[in-house]
Amino acid sequence: MNAIRRYVKDLNRNKALLLMVLPASLWFICFSYLPMLGTIISFKEYRFNGNFLSSIINSKWVGLDNFKFLFKTDDAYIITRNTILYNSVFIFIGLVLAVAMAIVLSEIANKRLAKWFQTGMFMPYFLSWVIVSYFVYSFLSFDRGMVNKIAVAFGADPVQWYSEPKFWPLIIVIVFLWKSLGYNSVIYLAAILGIDKSLYEAAMIDGANKWQQIRNITLPMLAPLMTILTLLAIGRIFYADFGLFYQVTRDSGTLYSVTNVIDTYVYRGLKTTGEIGMSTAAGLYQSFVGFVLVITSNYVVRRFNKDNALF
Amino acid sequence: MASVATKSRDFHRLSPVWNVVFNLIAGLFSLACVFPFLFVTILSFTDEKTLKRDGYSLFPKKWSVDAYDYIFKAGDQLLRSYGVTIFVTVVGTALSLVFISLFAYAISRKGFKYRTFFSFFAFFTMLFNGGLVPTYIVTTKLLHLQNSVWALVLPLTVNAFYIMIMRTFFSTMIPDAIIESGKIDGAGEFGIFFRLIVPLALPGLATIALFSTLGYWNDWFNALLYIEDPSIVPLQAMLMRIENSMQFILQNTNNPSLGVGVLQSMPQDTSRMAMVVLATGPIVLAYPFFQRYFIQGLTVGAVKE
Amino acid sequence: MSSTRKKLSLGLTSVLAVSLVLSACGSNNASKNTESGNAGGNGAPVELSWYTIGTPQKDVDKVMQEVSKYTKDKLGVTVKMTMIDWGDYNQKMQVLTASGASMDIMFTASWAFDYVQNARKGAFAPIDDLLDKYGQGIKQVLDPAFLEGSKVDGKNYGVPANKELPAQEVWRFNKNILDENKLSMDGVRSLESLEPLLKTIKQNDPNIIPLQVDKTFMPYTPYDYLIEKFPLAVKLDDKDYKVVNILETPEMKQGLETMHKYYAAGYLPTEAATLESSTDIQATGQWFADKATTQPFANNVWSTSYGYPVVSTPQSDALIYNLSVMGSMQAISANSKHKEKAMEFLNLLNTDPVLRNMVDSGIEGTHFKKIDATHMENLPESKNYDMPTFSLGNVLLTYLNPGDPDNKWEEFKKYNDAGKPAILLGFNFDPSKVSSEIAAVQNAKEAFWAPLMTGTVDPDQYLPKAIEKMKAAGLDKIMAEAQSQLDAWRAANNK
Repeated sequence: MNAIRRYVKDLNRNKALLLMVLPASLWFICFSYLPMLGTIISFKEYRFNGNFLSSIINSKWVGLDNFKFLFKTDDAYIITRNTILYNSVFIFIGLVLAVAMAIVLSEIANKRLAKWFQTGMFMPYFLSWVIVSYFVYSFLSFDRGMVNKIAVAFGADPVQWYSEPKFWPLIIVIVFLWKSLGYNSVIYLAAILGIDKSLYEAAMIDGANKWQQIRNITLPMLAPLMTILTLLAIGRIFYADFGLFYQVTRDSGTLYSVTNVIDTYVYRGLKTTGEIGMSTAAGLYQSFVGFVLVITSNYVVRRFNKDNALF
Repeated sequence: MASVATKSRDFHRLSPVWNVVFNLIAGLFSLACVFPFLFVTILSFTDEKTLKRDGYSLFPKKWSVDAYDYIFKAGDQLLRSYGVTIFVTVVGTALSLVFISLFAYAISRKGFKYRTFFSFFAFFTMLFNGGLVPTYIVTTKLLHLQNSVWALVLPLTVNAFYIMIMRTFFSTMIPDAIIESGKIDGAGEFGIFFRLIVPLALPGLATIALFSTLGYWNDWFNALLYIEDPSIVPLQAMLMRIENSMQFILQNTNNPSLGVGVLQSMPQDTSRMAMVVLATGPIVLAYPFFQRYFIQGLTVGAVKE
Repeated sequence: MSSTRKKLSLGLTSVLAVSLVLSACGSNNASKNTESGNAGGNGAPVELSWYTIGTPQKDVDKVMQEVSKYTKDKLGVTVKMTMIDWGDYNQKMQVLTASGASMDIMFTASWAFDYVQNARKGAFAPIDDLLDKYGQGIKQVLDPAFLEGSKVDGKNYGVPANKELPAQEVWRFNKNILDENKLSMDGVRSLESLEPLLKTIKQNDPNIIPLQVDKTFMPYTPYDYLIEKFPLAVKLDDKDYKVVNILETPEMKQGLETMHKYYAAGYLPTEAATLESSTDIQATGQWFADKATTQPFANNVWSTSYGYPVVSTPQSDALIYNLSVMGSMQAISANSKHKEKAMEFLNLLNTDPVLRNMVDSGIEGTHFKKIDATHMENLPESKNYDMPTFSLGNVLLTYLNPGDPDNKWEEFKKYNDAGKPAILLGFNFDPSKVSSEIAAVQNAKEAFWAPLMTGTVDPDQYLPKAIEKMKAAGLDKIMAEAQSQLDAWRAANNK
């Protein structure tokens, strides 16, 4: 009885805050948690039978069979390696450059100009990967591409870019950064602008120069945000941006050793059979690994600084 | 603008040399980002045959407005799609701001007993999802949203990623003392939130609003899933429909059933570029306008200190 | 308070919230259901919901109203057509079917909302009995090979559109360039026989691409593939029906070697292996020869659409493959509540010229006008109702356009009658037992396929690599499974 009374009292004490989380929580239940029940089809050989529920019930239970294709052959190693390596590079370089660009933008004296720069950086966000792939092709095409034209003008041999795997890790990283940097730096820029100005004034009175201010005020103030965003990115480390690895590389078979990632592998593999169970299984696998990694890194972060952790 | 200039007046301003370097870095990168846009615009005014023969070129041998002719033939469809996109973006962003900031604020409060649970509750949805079919069923069979604009608004309203960002903004930018002082003044939680916290959190809110606006503006997938009525198809969905269909038909050009006729009825490359210009042009032009409020919001937030 | 209890109570709260949401929506649901129940019962016309592929047209609803007037009198049905754009069709239909949405008729083909795959998964209703009862007209119109070839595990699940039946590969030539260089296509048939022509073109005009190929290209080999673009095949004249890896056949090896020779000689586009399609080069006319699939009067169609004359000569026999009968079909949804009516409608669509042309060209007097019994002309309004003719049933019923030859459909019939069945017609491989091997082999295959087929890489070096990679991914297991299915099919069909 006592426990219930205390529970009710707790609820009552937190009722305003509970009311605040209510709308979004209902949304999460409807749009995230209810559909999550459908994940069960990753253990099924999904066949249609009336409505979705009866289809699920009547489909054959196949245990972990749907996951097998992810681990077959030595491709499994390549796709896992590619996915993790690219994402790690994206996370690390992306973080450094986004923070750097945010600091650069915040320090530019002419604010009007800074605003224009920032607007410009956002533009790639509006282009779909298909369109981006056309541009990359207009640079790298063998006989009509700008890069080869320039190379030939300087007396170098033209390169068949789309069949030379060694260039692609760099190309992919550059294209990724180009497309995402503007978007990511906005978050940090907003955080910088939100830093209490009196901190800087105090530092100036102490005689700290700009660099010292950045190192001792700006960066520490950004640390929580950097931690959170990195943790969140780690959660998606097993997910690759399909368009980047499929469209931009023009699905060139010769490049697979450096461009085949989990998402493209699944896409190519399921083209002929179209098994929903297997694609759901792949998604579950990606989520699960990400989940384990986040929980682990979150645990580590918690040990250092409880406030910076996700939960 | 004057207030911004005075605000950032520092004793230890960046030295002129570094200022130039910073300008160069930001300027060159943003040029690299804008360049494709100029390119798209040029391409959309290129003659189709010239494009096919010479490939992409900054200085096409022959210009043409055929691409726009083709699109404007669709007439009121385009205008209607603009309307749908603007409605969805405005209403959606407003809703998201309310949902997200309330949730994020609550879980940023150290005194909130269930904050860990709700943080996890939100975070978990970033990793796991049910996939397409179950989501479709919930949206159509449970919420009955098919062929309704709300199917374009609601699925994007809340986003755990934004919540996590916003929570960080609240917990790093808002001193606990402010909440305490509000309590001492006898304000309720909602009163504290709207009167004290929101003005301070404007930089964060502006960021979320911006992301949300862009998210809504760029969304096409929900339209693919839920909208069959052509009168409520948003702009990006129109564009992506054409893009996907081009892609699909090109992949099947050797299919004898599909035949040459179908390919011919498809819009040309230049029309696609024109669609990109028309679909993104308005938001790109509107962005500086947004940004003025964004920056104003920021300065107001700073002045409140 | 213990943390478990805390969790429990929170769990309870969320369950409560869910059930609230559910009950709110549930009541909504119930009222909807009774409504639709009434509509069906009172002898009022049945509304058929029809999903088909193509860019949505402005006047679809308007035309369907007219169609409904017509079909209401004849069959007591009205029609609601929903068009899904080309690129969205697969995904949208997948979601609609998987969620059990109520549809009656839907378009399917080997290349869009995969017919065999979805028939096996239970998306379509088997129509054998329906065809006997309500689809006699269809059975009369169609060449028996259509229904024979589209059987999945012995049952029919879709009504193929009556159109060209056999598939025949041809070499096409850009006639202007052929004439300019005083070349002749006489005697050209095999890939190798092209060589002297290509050589001449390469010497005379380096700006022209002698042989245009893109990443979808495959040299012709006398084999019938078990799955499209998957390396398993059976030789066309193999009495033993032995499943082989196409890459290990002497014919393919020779083809690839020739391709590589051509590539090295500069007869092919440099980036053929990543070239998505040949449309750019076709628009500019900077090509000399390429490979295509033909049908009667194809030369005319190509010439008018490219704007310059195109001629062609065969490189293979005209054979009826599974793929050629599954080019365009209409299936009845397994969830349909009006299967009989749907079949009656499909029967009328495939036999009645008035209905067929209304669906195809719109309202007479608004979208098109008739010139005589078999000819029509589009009116300006037809831009609001421009449908892909081949996707909407019997093509041979459609009125001819002003430019068409009068004997167009007779020629189609002749062409269809002359076609001979390919060895695997009617056999459809069921991949469900080996789906994870297929996924792995598919990835191994795609890495090598286009580079090999387009001659970009040296087969001496890469062919063994490709074979080995595919074996490692489990090709042998798939092959064994395919062989046993094929043997069972042979036994069942006395082949």
